[in-house]
Parts: sequence; structure tokens; C-alpha cells
Amino acid sequence: MNWLREVARRLRMLVHRRQFDADLEEEMQLHLELRQQEHLESGMTADSARAAARRRFGNVTAFREKSHMAWGWEWFENLVQDVRYGLRMLRKNPGFTSVAVLTLALGVGANTAIFSVINAVLLSPLPYKNPQQLVVMRGNDSPPNVRDIQRQARAFSEGGGINVQKMDYTGGTEPVQVRTGLVDAGFLETLGVQPMLGRLISPVEDMKGGPRLAVASYSFFQNFLGSDPHAVGKAIPLGGNTYTVIGVMPASFTPPVEHADVFVSMWAGDPGAAAERDLHFMHTYWRLQMGVGLAQAQAEMAAIDRRLAEQYPAEEKERKMQLVPLQEWLVGDVRPALLVLFGAVGLVLLIACANFASLLMAREVARHQELVIRAALGAGRGRLIRKTLTESALLSVLGGAAGLLLAQWGTRMLLALKPEKLARLSGIHMDTRVLLFVLVVSGLTGVVFGMAPACAAARGDVAEALNERGRSTTASATGDRLRNILVTSELALALVLLVGAGLLMKGFSRLRSRNPGFNPANVMTMYLQLPPTRYGEISKQTQFRRELLARLNSLPGLQAAMVTDIPLGGNYVDHGFVIDGHPPVAVGGEPEVQTLSVMGDYFRVMQIPLRVGRDFTPLDREGQPLVAIVNEEMVREFFPHENPIGARIHWARETEPLQWMTVIGVVGDVKHSGLDQPVDPAVYTPFAQSNEIWRSFMTLAIRTRDVSSGLVEEVKKQVWGLDSRIPVSDVHTMEELMAVSLAQQRFNMLLLGLFAALALVLAAVGIYGMMAYHVGQRMHEIGIRIALGAQRRDVLRLVLGDGAKLACFGIAIGIAGAIALTRLMTSLLFEVKPTDPETFAVVTILLANVALVACYVPARRAMRVDPIVALRYD
Amino acid sequence: MHGYEIANSIQRISDDVLQVEEGSLYPALQRMLIKGWVTAKWGTTAGNRRARYYQLTAAGRKQLAVEMSQFERVIGAITRVIEAV
Repeated sequence: MNWLREVARRLRMLVHRRQFDADLEEEMQLHLELRQQEHLESGMTADSARAAARRRFGNVTAFREKSHMAWGWEWFENLVQDVRYGLRMLRKNPGFTSVAVLTLALGVGANTAIFSVINAVLLSPLPYKNPQQLVVMRGNDSPPNVRDIQRQARAFSEGGGINVQKMDYTGGTEPVQVRTGLVDAGFLETLGVQPMLGRLISPVEDMKGGPRLAVASYSFFQNFLGSDPHAVGKAIPLGGNTYTVIGVMPASFTPPVEHADVFVSMWAGDPGAAAERDLHFMHTYWRLQMGVGLAQAQAEMAAIDRRLAEQYPAEEKERKMQLVPLQEWLVGDVRPALLVLFGAVGLVLLIACANFASLLMAREVARHQELVIRAALGAGRGRLIRKTLTESALLSVLGGAAGLLLAQWGTRMLLALKPEKLARLSGIHMDTRVLLFVLVVSGLTGVVFGMAPACAAARGDVAEALNERGRSTTASATGDRLRNILVTSELALALVLLVGAGLLMKGFSRLRSRNPGFNPANVMTMYLQLPPTRYGEISKQTQFRRELLARLNSLPGLQAAMVTDIPLGGNYVDHGFVIDGHPPVAVGGEPEVQTLSVMGDYFRVMQIPLRVGRDFTPLDREGQPLVAIVNEEMVREFFPHENPIGARIHWARETEPLQWMTVIGVVGDVKHSGLDQPVDPAVYTPFAQSNEIWRSFMTLAIRTRDVSSGLVEEVKKQVWGLDSRIPVSDVHTMEELMAVSLAQQRFNMLLLGLFAALALVLAAVGIYGMMAYHVGQRMHEIGIRIALGAQRRDVLRLVLGDGAKLACFGIAIGIAGAIALTRLMTSLLFEVKPTDPETFAVVTILLANVALVACYVPARRAMRVDPIVALRYD
Repeated sequence: MHGYEIANSIQRISDDVLQVEEGSLYPALQRMLIKGWVTAKWGTTAGNRRARYYQLTAAGRKQLAVEMSQFERVIGAITRVIEAV
């Protein structure tokens, strides 16, 4: 308690320190006067009485200072003084201040924005209970297998799976499709998030013939249940059945990968699939038992795989399930991009710091005289350094604050640009970690990069400096060298960034100019799904499809067709198959192809070229010989030396009689999974000849003269004219799907491009500032040269020569650095080598030109020097 | 007592043996104020001038006792050393 009171006393003194000084003054004055009085009374003269009193008292000023300093506020008062002085200096040099602050703001702002993203994606824990225990199975599994693993595995405390299917929700004004997560009881339990209302599905309810229960997501609760706090117990029409809502998840909850509006038990939502051992469609999450490592769990998994393979040789022969930590699974593919961006933005910060430091140094040199005089008047070296540091710290605080504003704006822009992979990141925001980051970055910048000029300023012999009488040649050789190094490294760093951005741009333009295999212009797509309750027979599905296409194609100005899964739509189905006459393959080991069913003039609508053979016709229908069209990749892979036309294939694991299909044509390859993805072999079959009732969905592809929203309404009218309870969803133009598939590359390229541009500007400012300073320093010398007959051309060559030397040096180091660093971004580059000579050449020429222009401006000033003025200069 | 009186009384009591620069009294008073050993109050002198009067606090008295015993121990030790010579 005593020290608390002491602190209070000291603080009181600080607040009233003017009063304190006055009191002390008065007190001492009284003392002196009383003593003087005493001497007077003992008969001294007035003068000698005052002198004697002073002699006895000692040095008044020193005791005043000692009394003041006893309170321990000296450092604070110095600081206040330095800050006040610093602010005054900054106000007096608005040009310098704004350039320095802006330089730092750009560096700090860009870093903070990227760090916010990294913070949210890579550093923040996932919003589940003990997320570090969660692992994901690579590849899907079937419900019976998942149940076996749940029963047998000792390594997991919990586990469960999900498969999202679209189901019709007919409880609203118009039928819509909702993403329904078909789950087992373990799924929500494993993630460990408690429901906001009600409860989760229990294991006893999750079984064959169990009740139809639904757990709503928060968005479903808001959009379809009217945020009713009594929603639990409500009945909702879903997929042709009625489900009872038993729980609502909180707003913060979303499954790690799957987007689901509502969760229902697998046994209730799709009882057929829930019993199938060979339908591998559940994505599963597992929670490691306390103290169990990934390797141990993986070993147990392998043992279970072997057991399952022995037990079910037909279905599970090649089981090899691999466990991946959830965090890694989620951010695995964005991590390299983010780290490269973070590295890039770090380089931008370095450039900004170098600029900042060279600005400070240039100014300190200009103010050298002032510092020397201060030193001569008795300012200590430490105090001088502190004063200079205070100024740079002030600048860095201002820069940091401005950078924070920039970052806020920048993060918003990042979010607007974010590719699908970063969708989880609606939660990017500035938290304490980000603020701390800014504080540390800008503080360190100010101190570290302010330290060099501060020390340089405080160094040097006072007498010698004074003798130079302010002649502006005081710039020390070391200072010059340091500044040269700074500018050189700025140029080198800028080159590295430009090369990185250039490589990404080249890759992106390659990617964009890649032929997707179809013509995306003016094609509209929509997704439909026929509810299995009312379309349980193929004939009904076919009838609906045929009727819908007939209606659509009777509309003027459009051509409509349908396919199971549209290219770039994100989905496809693989089937194993067998070729007639080829050497037999073991059951379970058949090769797989992408299988697509089509109806209408699909290839014509999408403008996928027919290479050989014939297209489907309306005559290739039910009851007619089964036909198939394959893509070129299929021919390359499976019919390398034979004519595919007339070849016969059938799907694997078919029961007798085998359904042989005859290949009638070959079409061009389509980039189904993404422009940067390889093409898979594919087989197209007519929808009318399908025997897979579960494939009751279809994507309409409609080519029209103009893609307007009126078209969508017209199509919906036609669909609902046939069946008013079928939702029309996923309305996209083909060009939108193209853009989405390019989003990640586009994001990388735009950001790195932005940083490179920033680096270029900063480096240009850096070399300009350097040269301008240089010319200013040599004004005198240049004047003499001109007076002695040097031509303008000579002066220009002199100045540009200096700049060119720096630029060449910087570029050479930059090229070496780029060769070393761009290797790190190989995974981000599409069909471009990290040492692409063309990119290097273009970037080098660009940077050299920018440097030349930046030098030319001060060089022109040097050329115009009037010798008379220059010689008088000083 | 105010500063001048303190200086005078030190001088008087010590029979002029202790003569330091009187000004050094003031930094010392500040240190004692910080520690809370003395308090200061403005008052009026006999000559009707404003002066700051210092007074020992309870904490100050305690500290004094501590310092005294410390001092006596040292003096005692020094005396014993000198006598032993």
C-alpha cells in the first residue's frame, strides 16, 4: 500500500508540476531573503549580504533541478519535449512527412490485410470442440463401412459422416431446393457443437425405419422457420416427406466443408443408400481418442481396411483409407498461395522500410548542422539519438495508423475478391492479434530503421563539423554507402516481386486462353431434380425430360438440351466399365470413366465438336440398341490402336444379361473439373436409355441469343407447367462457371500484381529521392563543372550514370534473388516455369525504364543548374 | 518549521559543526516528501510571509527510529574499532 501512496504523490506532482516549481522557487527565495536579512542585521552592506546568503545557499539552479528531478519524471518530461518538438518538425515539412507516412502506410496496410486473412485461415482454431483432435478421411466411404469403423476402431472417440443432397422444400411460396445434409448420429456429435434450440439426432433414432427428424441450420431457421423460438416440433415438407424439427444449430456453426441448410438422418433421407456397402458417398470426420496420434489411428484404419476387404471382396477389395488432420484438409490448398502472398507482402514492407530509412537519413544529413550545434551546446549523444528516434517513432505510429485504415479497406477488397476456397472466411476481421501485429511491425520499423540515421546523426566530431560551416558536402561516405545499399536492395526486391507477379499473370493468361472444350458464350444452365417419391420409374423421368425439352425448344430464339452434370459445375459420377474383347480385369479393379447422360442436342448446344462417327438422335431411345459416345481422352487411353466406333462396353458389376453399349461417336475433350485440371476419359449415354433411377437430376443447358433473366422466368414457367412442385436451382451462365473456376488463380494474380505495382512505385520513389538528394548535394560541384565548360550532356551523363550503376546492381541482385525465390511458388504457376526467361526479360526492361525515368527528373534539374547560383550556394 | 528554520536549527543544534550548502536541504526534503516521511503545508511566518512548513509524519518517525538505530550501530562499531587501536 505504501508504494501505491508514493505513486499517487508522484503523479500529483506530475499534474501540478508548474505549481510545484513556483512553490519551490518561492520557498528558496524566502530562504535567501531571510538569510540576507540576517546578514544585514549583523551590519553587512546590502550587496555583500546578498552575496553571502547566496554563497551559503549554494547553486540555486542546480538545487532547483535536483529537487525537481527527485520526483523521477525527467524521462517523461524529455519525452514530452521530444514529441512536441518532433510534431513541430513534421508539421513544418509536410512533403517529407506525407511521403514517409504514406510509404509506411502502404507497407503496413498491405501486410496487415494479408495477415488478417492468414490469421483467420491458418492461425485461428476451427470453431469446433478441441479441433486439433479432428481428422478427415480422404475419399468417401459407404454407410455400412462407416458403421463398422465406428464399432471397431479404438483410436476414435467419435466419428460420423455426411453427404449433402439437394431436396425439395415445398413449405414456402415457391418450391425450392435446400441442401440437405444426410448424416449419421455421429456427425454433429463429433464436431461437438451444441444446438441452439432442441437437441441432435440420437444413435437410437439413426437406424433403419427410424423417425424422420431434422436439425435445422441457423440460416434455415431464419429463412424458412421465421426465426420462431418454438420451431422445435414443427413439421416441414422435405423431399416429398414430412420431417419433424428437433433442433436448431447456432449461427456460428457450419460443417467444415459441406454447406447444408438442414441435417436429417441418413436412414430417413435415403434408406436405400444407407444400406449399400458399395456406395461410397459419405464424407467422414473422426475425433481421435485422447492421447492417440495420427499414425496410430492410421495403423488401426489400415487393419480395419484389411478386415473389410477380406469380408467383402467384391465391394471393398482395394480399400486404402487415409486420415488427414482437419485443419490441413481445409487449408491445405490455400496455404501455399497465402504464404507466397505473405512473403510478397513482406518484401513490400521491406521496400517501404528501406524507403523510410533512406528518407530519414537524407533528412538527417540536411539537418546535420542543427544537431552539431545542439551537441556543441551540451546536448548528450544519448539525448540526441533519443530525439531523432522519437521523431521516427512518431512517423511510424502515424504510418501504422494510416496503414490500419488502408488495411481495413484492403481486407474488405480481399473479401470481395476471395475465391470459393476461402468461403469459410466471412469471419475475417481485425482482432487483437492483428492489432498487435500492426503495433509490432510499425514500431519495429520506426525504431530499427530510425536507429541507423539517428546514430549516424549523433556520430562525428563536433569541432570538425562546425568548421565545415554547413558546407553541404558533409555527407559522410558511410552514409552515402548505406543509402546506396538501401536503394539497390529496394530495386532488387521490386524485381523479385515483379517477376513473381509476371509469372502468375502469364500462367493466368495461359489458363484463360485454354480451350475448355465447349463454347461458354450465351449458355445458361439450371439444375432440376425429380423427387424419387413421384418419379420412382425411369419411364416417368424420361417422359418429364422429353416433354420439358419439347416445350423449351418450342420457345423462339433458344436451343435447350440437358446433361446430368454440367462442366465446371463441380460434380461428376465415375463408373467402372468393361470393354468387349479386351483382356479381362479382376472384379473391383475395372478402370473408371466419367459418365454423363444427355438428352436433346447437347453437343450442338455446348458446341462440343463431334470428331468421328455420329451424334445421338431422338431414335436412340428406350427399347432401341444401347449406344454411347466417348471423348478423345477415352480413345487415347483405352483404344489407342483400334477404331473405337463399333466397340462394345458395359458397366462393371452388372448382373446378367449384360447391357452392352455400342460406341457410335467420338467428341472433343471437355475440361469438366476445371481449366487447370486434366481431362478424364468420359462416356456419354442417352438419358432415355438410362436404367439408374437414382440419377433423377439433370442440368439444363440453354443457348440463346442473349442471356437475360427473362429467360429464367420463362424456363421456370415451363417446368412448373409440367410439375408445380419441382424447384429450379443453381441458375448460372456458363461464363460465370468459367469465372468461378478461375477465381483462385485470379485472386493470386491480382494480389501479387497489386503488391508488385506497389513495390514498383515505392522503388521508383526511392531511387528518385536518392538521386534528387544526390543532385542537391552536388549542386556546388556541378556548378563548377558547368562553369569550367562541361556541357549539359556531360552533366546528364554524370547523374544518369550514377543512377544506372545503382539500377544495374539492384537488377542483377534481383534476378539472382528471383531465381532463388520463385521456385517457392511453383505450385501456383500454371504451365509456366518459375524461371521463365521471357517474364524475366520483360520485367527487367520495365524496371530499368522506371528507374531511368526516376533518375531523369533530378538529372534534368542538374542540367539546368546555373553556375553563378550554384557557386554562391551555401 | 520551514526550510530556513530547519537550516538554522541544524546549524544551531550542531553548534555550527555541520555546515553544508543550505540549498541541499531542498532536494532532501523532496525525497522525504515522496517517501511520505514529512508533509508540507503552507503557512505564514512571524514576519507575515508565506512559507512552506514541514512536519514529520508517523511513517517519518518510524523511519527516523530505524535510521537512528542503524546509525548508532555504525557509530558504536566505529567507536569500538577506534578504541581498540
